[in-house]
Amino acid sequence: MINIFSQLMMDANKSLYGLTIEPQNASKGPVVLGNGDFFIEIPVAFGCAFSDLTLTGANGTALPTAAELIDKGIETGVGSRMCNAIKVACYYLEAGLIAKPDMIITSNSCCDSMTTLGILMNGYKPWADVPKFTMDAPHSFDEESYRYFGQQLRNAVTFMETATGRKMDWDRLREVCVESNKQRQLLLEFQELKKAVPCPADPDLARQGTEYTTWTFDRVTPTVTAWLEQLVTATEQRVKEGKGIDGVNEKVRFLWQDLAGSWASGTVLARLQKELGAVCIMDYVSYATWTPIDLTSEETMFTSFGKRFLLEDAMNRQALHTADLFCNDILQIVKEFKCDAVIMPAHIGHRDTNSRLKIVRDVCRENGIPCLIIGMDIWDKRYMTPDVVFDRMKTFFEVSGLI
Amino acid sequence: MRSGLKSEVFEKLAVIAGSISNPEVVRWKQQGGRVIVYTCSFVPEELLVAAGLLPFRIRATGSQSAGRADDYFEAANICSLVRHCFNKILTGEYQFLDGCVIGGGCDANRHILDNWEQSEARIPFLHRIFFPHSSGNLMAQNFRNQLENLKQLLEDHFGVKITNEKLQDAIVLCNEIRDLQKSLYALRKVDNPAITAAETISVIVAGYSMPKEAYKADLTLLLEELSGVTMPEKKPVVRLMVVGPGHDEPSLCDIIETMGGAAVTDLTCYGGKTLFGSVREADPDPLQALADYQVIDRPLCPKNLDAHPIINREVMNKIKEYRVDGLIGQSYLCCETWSGELFVLQKELKEAGIPMLRIEREYTSDSLGQVQTRVQAFIETISGGLL
Repeated sequence: MINIFSQLMMDANKSLYGLTIEPQNASKGPVVLGNGDFFIEIPVAFGCAFSDLTLTGANGTALPTAAELIDKGIETGVGSRMCNAIKVACYYLEAGLIAKPDMIITSNSCCDSMTTLGILMNGYKPWADVPKFTMDAPHSFDEESYRYFGQQLRNAVTFMETATGRKMDWDRLREVCVESNKQRQLLLEFQELKKAVPCPADPDLARQGTEYTTWTFDRVTPTVTAWLEQLVTATEQRVKEGKGIDGVNEKVRFLWQDLAGSWASGTVLARLQKELGAVCIMDYVSYATWTPIDLTSEETMFTSFGKRFLLEDAMNRQALHTADLFCNDILQIVKEFKCDAVIMPAHIGHRDTNSRLKIVRDVCRENGIPCLIIGMDIWDKRYMTPDVVFDRMKTFFEVSGLI
Repeated sequence: MRSGLKSEVFEKLAVIAGSISNPEVVRWKQQGGRVIVYTCSFVPEELLVAAGLLPFRIRATGSQSAGRADDYFEAANICSLVRHCFNKILTGEYQFLDGCVIGGGCDANRHILDNWEQSEARIPFLHRIFFPHSSGNLMAQNFRNQLENLKQLLEDHFGVKITNEKLQDAIVLCNEIRDLQKSLYALRKVDNPAITAAETISVIVAGYSMPKEAYKADLTLLLEELSGVTMPEKKPVVRLMVVGPGHDEPSLCDIIETMGGAAVTDLTCYGGKTLFGSVREADPDPLQALADYQVIDRPLCPKNLDAHPIINREVMNKIKEYRVDGLIGQSYLCCETWSGELFVLQKELKEAGIPMLRIEREYTSDSLGQVQTRVQAFIETISGGLL
């Protein structure tokens, strides 16, 4: 049955398809190619397309040909233990499948694998003449760090102006920021509504909403704002009616402290919800901590950009910083969203997560929170199949007395 | 592999490099000195020397297991260098240390601090600095600010005053040592050097494990001894260069030399990459001079997105300077940034007609059987003129 939420999911997914290789290559220039997140309001206001090659690789692992693409990535000879999303991106690059961009902007956000992709992009011979700009995302989150990164984003604008001969329309940038603030506020409102028990709407909509707002070609447009408004309105109605997700008898609420990746949502998480009433209330990407961009002056704007990028962009928040922040977020989410358990997928390509599993386990134990560490590949289901992940989680919920 | 070198000073340095605690550290501690351990070559030793501390660069010499560290770092997905070093900390082999500065170069490395703070081996002075991931004046300024902060923390914790004069003296001392180490490296430009690559590694590693003044004196003496040594004529089959991350034990070079090759130079985090150029002396802002050296001047860590052209240029220079026939790009499993760097480098070298063997390995010698087979095949291929 198609309800409003299913319709919204389909709309978002249509836009997310734009992150695969063909639509990206069809982008009208000038095109900026990155190895990870960039402060998206800037290229939008500048009137240029921005593609993130990591996302293109990650979306490759969602295609029916995923296994073949990953194997081709392995055959390129890039590091054998590299994250598979990066391996696919590497294959796309090495096979000459990515259209030559007009500019390349790379940074270390948010993990070593993505930095490595940046190295590959910057060293890719056929693109030797493409203007390049690199940025240093510090592993710290304080006013000085926000100013430091904000300054680099300001320099990125100058770089784009020089590379294209265009000028940034500062009024347009302000308009885009206003729209962006509106969208982030709506995401926060949806997040607030997710606290209701039972959860009023499929929580995966938060992930899709964030991706739609941040990564797709529709980002920071009124189309996305309208989508978010519909989402919030429909969810508010559900909360008023005290209804949960259609067809789900909610018994367990859990935090999935990683990306959902390319296959978990449609397989493991969907099955858990339907068969066991175990609802994934939150994941990495869904967790919204947005604060509004301060439009008082150019300086405050760029410092706000720095803060958004370093602290509020979901993946940067979880991957760039200390174990303290990571664990505090876990405790905060568990408390506020009434989670019964924490699942650490521990994606094999995430060095940062794999470096702090004991800390997470200890923190959960001290706080009486059941915690399961899996060790799966969120991009390649051959490493640990959906059935195995499902069984492990089911057993964990059983032995924890949650079902 | 040994060259047959007979030198008391070399034997002394080899003993220091062959273990973690060593007679020089023991003597330093007995005299009331304090030792600060650090990770990554971009942590400026000069600042630690100016604080009157003995900087000791972390390594896991002789490690057989990372068992206790594997509770903290997932063994299958984290590089063995980080795990084995942290294991040494947990098992008490670094009991002599009074503090640590983590150079947060990569994701695993920077989390050493988080894990250390949570462990029973926790110590009062644990600090982390971050190497910028791109280069330029803004980044050098940011790094300088981090050094200023570290300076303040060192002063507060250790009750010392780090004056500009002390910093300038430390810069001069470390530059002198760097120059001596460059002279040591230069000995291997000839076909029959007085010192092998494995022996050179021991000498370099010792320099990160003992007081600087004493090391300078020992290295000066060793170079004097080596200058008078004449070796029998022996042309190696191939002259190889090693490129990659921390390379603090001689096993790979031993393999190369046992197979008839010669490891004539390297660009690794423990070796050649640390010997580049000099820090500006007598700069009114010595912290800025240190920051500029680390962020702009010297070959960078591939975690820095601007590193590749500089690494490439240095490799090409050394290939000419040392008459290199081929490269061995070695990295540890799960070291992603070096994997990417070596991937790009290999393509460029191929275009330039220079063969390169890529090896992913573990820190310990357990995996060296496979490495030996591959190195042997590589040397045979080059020497047969097949590449």
